[in-house]
Amino acid sequence: MKDPLYITSHGILLRKGNTLYFMNDEGKKALPINGINEINCYGKVSLRSGASSLLMKQGIPVNFFNKYGYYEGSLYPRIQLNSGLIIVNQSEHYSDPIKRAEIAKEIVEGIKHNLLRNLKYYKKKGKNVDIFIQDIEKEVIGGTVPQIMSNEGRMWHAYYQSFNSIIKNFKMGNREIRPPTTEMNALISFGNSLLYGSALSEIYHTYLHPSISYLHEPAERRFSLALDIADIFKPIIVGRVIFKLVNNNMITENDFDKDVGVLLKDKGKKVFLKEYQSKLDTTIKHPRLNRRVSYKYLMRLECYKLIKHLLKDKKYESFKAWW
Amino acid sequence: MYLIVVYDVDVNRVNKVHKFLRTFLHWRQNSVFEGEVTRSQFKKITVGLKEIVNEEKDSIMIYKMPDKKYLDLQVIGIEKNPIELIL
Repeated sequence: MKDPLYITSHGILLRKGNTLYFMNDEGKKALPINGINEINCYGKVSLRSGASSLLMKQGIPVNFFNKYGYYEGSLYPRIQLNSGLIIVNQSEHYSDPIKRAEIAKEIVEGIKHNLLRNLKYYKKKGKNVDIFIQDIEKEVIGGTVPQIMSNEGRMWHAYYQSFNSIIKNFKMGNREIRPPTTEMNALISFGNSLLYGSALSEIYHTYLHPSISYLHEPAERRFSLALDIADIFKPIIVGRVIFKLVNNNMITENDFDKDVGVLLKDKGKKVFLKEYQSKLDTTIKHPRLNRRVSYKYLMRLECYKLIKHLLKDKKYESFKAWW
Repeated sequence: MYLIVVYDVDVNRVNKVHKFLRTFLHWRQNSVFEGEVTRSQFKKITVGLKEIVNEEKDSIMIYKMPDKKYLDLQVIGIEKNPIELIL
């Protein structure tokens, strides 16, 4: 299985021989090009032309993030998996408001289930989250897409407010993102951005076009389908990683810089990345496939389910965590 | 599957083997490469090596295991190149 490469330091990616090297003040490190499926750059990374054409030839997307962890853009290789049929169907399901609402509703049902899954776990551990559970449970998802988006917005709000009862060492405050104003906000933004990059990479390995989305409005500058897919997995991936890092003191106040906003220092980013990657690689037995799959593969499966729905093969049922 | 590849080849071919293996595996120390590969990549590696090497004179040993977890590494001295995908 190929792995993602995360670069948090500053340096240059270059091509030497037939493989990739990363060069900075500390020296040159050879990287097996056939062992990498995506590159995520958090530091100041330059690509020499040899490296970029090698990466494009191998079909390896390179995602760039700024120091806050915000997605800036990607070097997206020429689409290897091209299907006009899928793109036409994707558009059809977007243009028809009923078809679009059907998919958007199912996505939000998945989000609702996964948010509740996390909160109920902490309720069992004795945390005071009943009111937030009720706030989420009472949302009836339906109607037009803007109504469905309001459902979703309210549920996320309740979920983030519950963090005050779950997290031991930091205060949540309000969800403020440009820039993040508290440590928790910085962590959530960083995690969400990572998940967006992972979702985008998974979409790249399917026939889906990442710009045509259902819940989020397809926008000019972002691959909004990646936002749709990432949202479903945020609670079990980003949420659980953050709870583990913070409640076990793996990330503390010293790991943050307070500039204009709050941001994670390089060392903190590495700790987060290690835990995040480990989470993505965690496997769980899939009830229908009857074999173990990684969390990352669950995102790929989500794409496949969407394709089946778009081709009118099988109705889309969003991912709902069973553990 | 997880591989450890160690080689001892004629000086004329050492460089070619090195350059070939480093596109698939991580260099650990002189003549030692290691990493996770798929079955098709394993086939590519073995076929590729056979084309480079003189099977009468050179020696390449490939240790295969189903998972990295079966390995228990102990380093005496320094680890010349730790495997790190978070740079």
